[in-house]
Amino acid sequence: PSRAQPKKKKKVDVRKEQAQKERMKKKLKKLEKAAPELIPIEDFITPLKYSESNRVRSLPTLSPEESERRVLLLKKWCLFKQKQDEAEKKAIKALVESQQEALRELRLESEELYEAAIRRDEGLFPFERDGPSYTPPLPGYDPPEGKCIDITKVYTQ
Amino acid sequence: DALLGCHRSYRSRPTHGIGKFKYLLPKEAPKKKKEKVQMKEIDAGTEYQYGDVNIQMTSYDVCLVEHFAQYVHRLCNRLSIRVNESYAMPTKTNEVLFMEERGSKMQLDAVLTTHQRVVQIRGLSSTFAPILLETIQSNQPEGVHLLMKQHTEADFKSRLKSRPELEELRAEMS
Repeated sequence: PSRAQPKKKKKVDVRKEQAQKERMKKKLKKLEKAAPELIPIEDFITPLKYSESNRVRSLPTLSPEESERRVLLLKKWCLFKQKQDEAEKKAIKALVESQQEALRELRLESEELYEAAIRRDEGLFPFERDGPSYTPPLPGYDPPEGKCIDITKVYTQ
Repeated sequence: DALLGCHRSYRSRPTHGIGKFKYLLPKEAPKKKKEKVQMKEIDAGTEYQYGDVNIQMTSYDVCLVEHFAQYVHRLCNRLSIRVNESYAMPTKTNEVLFMEERGSKMQLDAVLTTHQRVVQIRGLSSTFAPILLETIQSNQPEGVHLLMKQHTEADFKSRLKSRPELEELRAEMS
């Protein structure tokens, strides 16, 4: 009996291990077949409470002078924005032109400097900038103590 | 089908296939299969051109961030810079608690949601990049944080759902 038992253990173990490995491989293949999904974005899903029908709001009627005033204001705003946009386009064109001219002059001066200027700047990225604030930071402001907890919903596939 | 349905098909007669009408109907588009979310190749860029660049805009205010993203996208269209993708990253929610002045209890102050929009561009020339940066910066609204960086695989992977089972199995296998 002592001769037979160790042999059985080895065979059974190896077969069991192989069977286990195959099962795991099959599971892995099945999981890998399923394509990865994108995390759904909560911004684009309107909550149900906003699509209820009793949330309709009736606007007050406008007098003709008021509506006239608003239309004229809209036109003035449109014109202002158009001028702003034109100025921006003009500024970009001017920048590009002056840059091209400078590069041409540099080329006439020396080829090496021109080549070095044309190359891309590795230090440009990554570039970070905070947006401007309405008011400058208050001097000597003591913020209250507290903490932030991240409660984002974690999606798993 | 009309031919098969009818059990009398006089193929020699001139009235053969008289009931056919499907050739008159407009052609239906073939049923499209579900497209898999695959990573597009990341362009490394040459010496005079940047490859895939991500312009990420983050803010607490949804409207500002979306409008700014729209503005950047339209600006790139106007300047004929190729825009690969323009997508939104998942929103992060933060609960802000602060300590009360008297007592040691944490008081709930607000729940803030951070939104992020990404505009991915390709083929930005090295001479034009500073000009584009200047334009975007001068139009940056308040509270919107701008970040420009190269696109990497990790950036793409952060958009996908995590698969803990797959990770576990892979760890067990190796």
